[in-house]
Formats: sequence, structure tokens, C-alpha cells
Amino acid sequence: MPRRRPRRSTHRPQRRKDVLHGPGGAHGDAFRCVGCRLDVPLTAPGTAHRNHCPHCLTSLHVDQRIPGDRASGCRGRMTALSLSVRQDGEWLIIHECLTCGELSANRIAGDDNALALLRMAVRPLSDTFIPVRALLTL
Amino acid sequence: MSTDNPKNRSTKSSANGAGACLRTDTFTCLRCGLTVATLAPDGSRRNHCPSCLHSQHCLDHVEGGPSDCGARMTPISIAVLRTGGWMVIHRCTRCDELTSNPVCGDDNQLILMRMAVRPLAQPPFPLEAFGDL
Repeated sequence: MPRRRPRRSTHRPQRRKDVLHGPGGAHGDAFRCVGCRLDVPLTAPGTAHRNHCPHCLTSLHVDQRIPGDRASGCRGRMTALSLSVRQDGEWLIIHECLTCGELSANRIAGDDNALALLRMAVRPLSDTFIPVRALLTL
Repeated sequence: MSTDNPKNRSTKSSANGAGACLRTDTFTCLRCGLTVATLAPDGSRRNHCPSCLHSQHCLDHVEGGPSDCGARMTPISIAVLRTGGWMVIHRCTRCDELTSNPVCGDDNQLILMRMAVRPLAQPPFPLEAFGDL
């Protein structure tokens, strides 16, 4: 399905990522998901910053401000909290750290679990209280 | 940070909870200019404008304590908790920090619904396959 692509001249390219993913601080090419123990390769379709498991969308709290800086000492599990949409139609997953409550946003990858994404997208609509009140105000 | 101005103090004080502010405290929305009472009708403390849902970056969540950013925060998404409550996720327009706040009873329902159905308007994968499930 085509996305709206606004013509932007000041498009920032993705930062180059040089991150130690392997065990013991080695340059690995995969990481193991802390949620479902899936071995996830780092090469992802559509993004250079894969930070969550494509199966269960769980991430690990290792970065602080900049993706890939590995400056956080928390190392807690981050679960997918909600979905956000950029201006150009890209979906972002908002992760919440279960240990310290920190939030982070990451673009979805091309091989992320579509069913898990769609469950998060329709979760506000499954609650009928606010949608019905909003439609009644129209 | 000066505390002599009561309007500044109400938006920038770091303490949460209704006991930390006066009942008559107000703040001015950075986007629409609406003067908003800090105390919500249900007794909780309000930190975003009920009309446009924009907020101000007052608390630093990475290092903790008050933030010196002070920029406007736009609502970017709706999160539903396991208890059924809704949270608004705000993103700072200046430093890209994310915060989450519970919605109030008098928040603008149309903006809330517009953010809730926004992902389904432009899905990155075809939704026809989910009809078979």
C-alpha cells in the first residue's frame, strides 16, 4: 500500500549505527529477545535501527538519548505500549521500560508481527466508552 | 527557576498530586492560549490543555528533576493500560523527549479519537488478510 511521501528537501538520513550486540561486548550480528528468546538477526527490511523483536515487539532498555549510545544502566525489559504515526505515514512503536518507566519510540521494521501491531492499533477502539461519547458530540 | 510568578510555578513545579498546587492555580496553554485550571474536576492535577491536549516540557524523565527545556509538547499517540485507562503520549517539539499522562474526563474527545484511529488510516500492510482470521 503506497504511503504519502511529502517532498522534503531537508530529509535527515539515518544515523550510522555501530553497536555492540554480541555477548560480552562483541560485534554480533544477532541478539536474543528477552521476551520470547527468539534469535533476531540485526539486518531488518526497512530500517537500520532494529531494536525490538519482530515476533513479540519486546525491546531492551540500553540506550538513553541517542539510538545506539548504550548509555543507560537500566537494562530493563521494554514492552510495546502504543502506536504512533508520523506525518509521512510511518508507524512508530512506543516502548515503555518495565523497570524505570522510560518511554522510547522506534520505527517499525518490515518483518514485524502484523497481528501484534494491529492488536495495538485497535486497542483504543475496543473500549466503547470514549468512542461512543466522541461520536455523540459530532 | 524563579518561583515569584504564580503562573510559572503552577506549570513548572515538580511535585505531582493535587496537594502541591492551589485550587485556583491556572496555566496558559502554549499552543491555543487557553487559560486552564491546574486542578481537574476529578481532583487530579492537570498537565495538558483539555482543548488541544498540548503540554509543556517541565520534568526531565531521563535524569529526573525539573527540566530547563520548557518547550511545547505535542500529543502523538494514545496508550490503553491494562486497567482500561487511557494515557496520552507527548513528545517535546524541541528535544524529542517522550512523556505519558493520563487523560482527564474533560479532554477533547475528538482529538483523542483522531489520534486513536490515525494508525488505521494509513496501514503499512494490507488489512484485507485480517478479514480471514
